[in-house]
Amino acid sequence: MWFATGVVAMNDSIIVVGITLTYLALVLWVGLRARGQKNSSLEGYVAGGRHVGVVILFFILGAEIFSAFAFLGAPGWSYQHGAPAFYILAYLSLIPITIWAMGPRVAKLGRERGYLTQGDMIADHYQSKSLGMLAGIIGVLALVPYLTIQIAGAGLLFQAATDGLIPFWLGALLAFLVVAAYVFCSGLNGIGWTNLLQGIMMIVIAWFLGLSISERLYGGVGEMFSQIQLTMPEYLTMPGATGMNWGYFSTAVLVSAFGGAMWPHLFMKFYSADSGKTLRKVSVFYPLYAYLLVPLLFIGFAGILIFSDSPLERSDTVLLRMVMDVANFSPWVIGLMLSGALAAAMSTGANLAHTAAVVLVRDVAGPTMMKGASEKAVICATRWSVLGLSLIAYLFALANPSSLVLLLLGAYGLIVQLFPMVIGALFMPHLRRASVMAGALFGSLAYLLMEFAWSSPLGWHAGIWAMLLNVGVVTAWQWLVKPMFTKKTPTHSQ
Amino acid sequence: MNKTYHLLTGLHFAVCTLAMIWPGALIANRIEPTVLGLPFLFFWYILWMLILFVGMWIAYVVRHGGGRHE
Repeated sequence: MWFATGVVAMNDSIIVVGITLTYLALVLWVGLRARGQKNSSLEGYVAGGRHVGVVILFFILGAEIFSAFAFLGAPGWSYQHGAPAFYILAYLSLIPITIWAMGPRVAKLGRERGYLTQGDMIADHYQSKSLGMLAGIIGVLALVPYLTIQIAGAGLLFQAATDGLIPFWLGALLAFLVVAAYVFCSGLNGIGWTNLLQGIMMIVIAWFLGLSISERLYGGVGEMFSQIQLTMPEYLTMPGATGMNWGYFSTAVLVSAFGGAMWPHLFMKFYSADSGKTLRKVSVFYPLYAYLLVPLLFIGFAGILIFSDSPLERSDTVLLRMVMDVANFSPWVIGLMLSGALAAAMSTGANLAHTAAVVLVRDVAGPTMMKGASEKAVICATRWSVLGLSLIAYLFALANPSSLVLLLLGAYGLIVQLFPMVIGALFMPHLRRASVMAGALFGSLAYLLMEFAWSSPLGWHAGIWAMLLNVGVVTAWQWLVKPMFTKKTPTHSQ
Repeated sequence: MNKTYHLLTGLHFAVCTLAMIWPGALIANRIEPTVLGLPFLFFWYILWMLILFVGMWIAYVVRHGGGRHE
């Protein structure tokens, strides 16, 4: 009934493409300009020379939140499920708890002992190269699907916003060539400056769209919710329209909130902070990021009544359909929307590609194939891995069309398995390497089995069961299996 | 001071976490009263995000507000 006739004309598509390409060129320019100065060393390329201040760090971390998932998946969830989408607000605002608790210690150890990756810390603390490799492998396995989400998101955005003028495969390719180019050349410096630009872009676009869509279609946010309450009140409270139980909701929040800080791309940024105090300051402001997502949830809620007669085939496309077909914005606005959402996909994608490459080269290849390689060779291998891993994720994106939220939740369940060994390395010096290794192996395997073969007991998030098993195995191993050597694992000086 | 400080920040974190999942969020699971035009459950999350932020900010100022120490 509210449908506008809007099929975007060819001319309009060209305006949209023009704005977006201009924006991509701007990002590329800013990203490439950041190369140079203190960038020649590995520490510069990976950890920004450990002198990243609070403002840049805030945007580097913030660009994680505004990913393709935020622009497509979050409104998709509020459109499809209703209230269960608040899980996104909950876990985002809870992530800083872990950053607050362990960030300063991670930054301090990293500075003192020259760590650049999670695997560095694990391998050094437990005196075990293979444990560091295991952490690296889990990290890369979880990062690649996460990167796939960003690439698939970029392709979806281009295709929809240009009405098919730029097809999925080409859109995804374009966005990621830009990202791979500046990460390849500028490392973390490139990411910092482009994320500053992209962060501002995304915030403005998200709020503008969220408020103007509810204004145009319903006459305001309050009015929108009263109309939903009249006709479809089940969307506004738990268990939502699809009957999501509290068990799944709560465990998904916990896995995502505490797994969140285990992500190598966040964890490694802890090393780049100039002090523990900076990290604490960033974590204080972190819950505010979640506010930035609120208008995007509005857009999903706005779609509930609009599409009640003919539900969308893919809920991830609700924002696009609203902007393009329903709210009848001008092509200029659509072009800016596309740029903002692409900014979200690309900035996160840049971080992910950069991190996955560093982890792969340093933690996985470092102790094996590239043993004793020069720093120059390592930087070179890292750069080419950025391209290689982006390409793999691109191919996955072409093949795998499943829901963005499910991909993300799947990756979180895997990465949270690093929790016990990281906590052990930071705070529990008596944990032995065999215990945490057994825990991580059992946890990850159980998780993958539950995801792909069995179903999860009680309908909870499989990550929490795997995590409980992980902790259980660590504890049992610690008590029951006697160490073969009586030598205690060396601990860090207090 | 140190022990109380850790206890209080820990408590703050635990309360905020439980407020956003089961069982804390159960008491807020309704539409009325609407606040700022939002259904009550939506507002509940907005509110606890703010409480978490304010608590962490206070903890930061208490610990790191004065001189520069780790």
